[in-house]
Amino acid sequence: MIITDRTFQTLLSREILRFTRVWMQTIVPQLLTSLLYLVVFGIALGGRIKQIEGIPYIDYILPGIALMSLITNSQMNSSWSVFDAKRERYIDEVLISPMSDLQITLAYSLGGMLRGVVMGAGVFVVGVPFVGLQIKHPLMLIVIGLLASFAFSSFGTMVGALATRIEHISLITSVIIQPLAFLGGVFYSVGMLPGVLKVVTFFNPIFYTVDAARYVTLGVSDLNPYPTLGMVCLIAAICFGGAWWAISRGPNLRY
Amino acid sequence: MSVGANGVPALKIEKLRKTYSNGFLALDGVSLEVEAGKFFGLLGPNGAGKTTLINGVVSLARPDSGSVEVFGKDAFREFREARRMIGVSPQEVNLDKFLTVEETLLFHAGYYGVPKKKASERAEEMLERFELTGKRAQRTNTLSGGLKRRVLFARALMHDPKVLFLDEPTAGVDVELRYKLWGYIRELNRGGMTILLTTHYLEEAEALCDEIALINGGNIAAKGSSEELKERYEARNVEEVYMKVIGHDHHG
Repeated sequence: MIITDRTFQTLLSREILRFTRVWMQTIVPQLLTSLLYLVVFGIALGGRIKQIEGIPYIDYILPGIALMSLITNSQMNSSWSVFDAKRERYIDEVLISPMSDLQITLAYSLGGMLRGVVMGAGVFVVGVPFVGLQIKHPLMLIVIGLLASFAFSSFGTMVGALATRIEHISLITSVIIQPLAFLGGVFYSVGMLPGVLKVVTFFNPIFYTVDAARYVTLGVSDLNPYPTLGMVCLIAAICFGGAWWAISRGPNLRY
Repeated sequence: MSVGANGVPALKIEKLRKTYSNGFLALDGVSLEVEAGKFFGLLGPNGAGKTTLINGVVSLARPDSGSVEVFGKDAFREFREARRMIGVSPQEVNLDKFLTVEETLLFHAGYYGVPKKKASERAEEMLERFELTGKRAQRTNTLSGGLKRRVLFARALMHDPKVLFLDEPTAGVDVELRYKLWGYIRELNRGGMTILLTTHYLEEAEALCDEIALINGGNIAAKGSSEELKERYEARNVEEVYMKVIGHDHHG
């Protein structure tokens, strides 16, 4: 079995060790950033916006901020982990082991997913009592969190495997992931946007994850929640497929 | 252990061909058989295809065509079984910088599916054997070059491979360590482990190897025991054989 195999479990535990060992770099600063967003946008801006769709503004943005943290962290985790391993060639040890490419891809992606989930959950744990809201569908929230985290962690695995220079990694985070996260409806409802921007938003994969998370947390969303959930599954499948391809057939990993 | 069992060779490479993406033909249809239990030397100039050959066996380089069997197991279709039997000590140090010396050994064993208890016993043995016990809790990126080399050896042996690939293992290693390493590797070989060694030190190869293959331009240029080669090329030592087979069109 793919995941009961000790080879796979060892790589996954190595991935977890990697980010927990340096938690002062990987967990604490990012959590503080998210809380800063919550305070600055929620309290400062919230004083003016008051409510969106009958929900207090600070409540409205909480699930999105958690998702933003979850997505950027899961993506960064696996892209740096794979890229570092490739740059210093210790990924060779894994590539020549009896593990299959599918297992390798899965271990890196699940490692990043866990980091993302820890971060997303952290924002909820600190934010929910602070804001004072009740989560409508907690189980579904976990499902959405896992799926979104897995999707972007897989994307990160692909980026790490394909990147040839260190700048590619930071560029993908700052030029693609972060702008998409900010424009993914974290701080506003798509209904508030003018026509063109509204249409553009529908091409942003992060929008679907944020919208789904908002629905299961607050019961309000821009889209019908079920197709959105399907969309999140699709995004996760595409990203994982890409990661698998990059690990197995990608041009820059094996000689 | 595995010496001559049913006559299945430790390594059977047939018509292995590898072109790199920049068009460089590294292996030009190499065929090579290494008998089980042999101490086998692979010699040749830089860029001759030694490392590519090793990488081709463990799929670190994807060959264009050809086949590889490790103790009768197809290295591509039955890669799990095949790779479990191979230990590699690479030319370039490639240690995981997040791990300590001990973790490096334990994680490696895990990657190869060695059960936990067995892995920690084996790690103790390796730490002691390579005089790393005092460094067990140290991160690998803080070690000196010689120590890193020792960890690479210990790591390659953690899953008790049947074939050991040593790719330029003594480059940059001081005399004392080299001497100890060879003693230990000889001992492993006597215990039945097949050794495939690539090296630039020709006298080393001559002293250690039962059989030697000279590789040049992605092809096997000559193969035999050092005695056979010396006789065939009317040479006094392997260095002269090397110069006669390869030297005339290569410098260094």
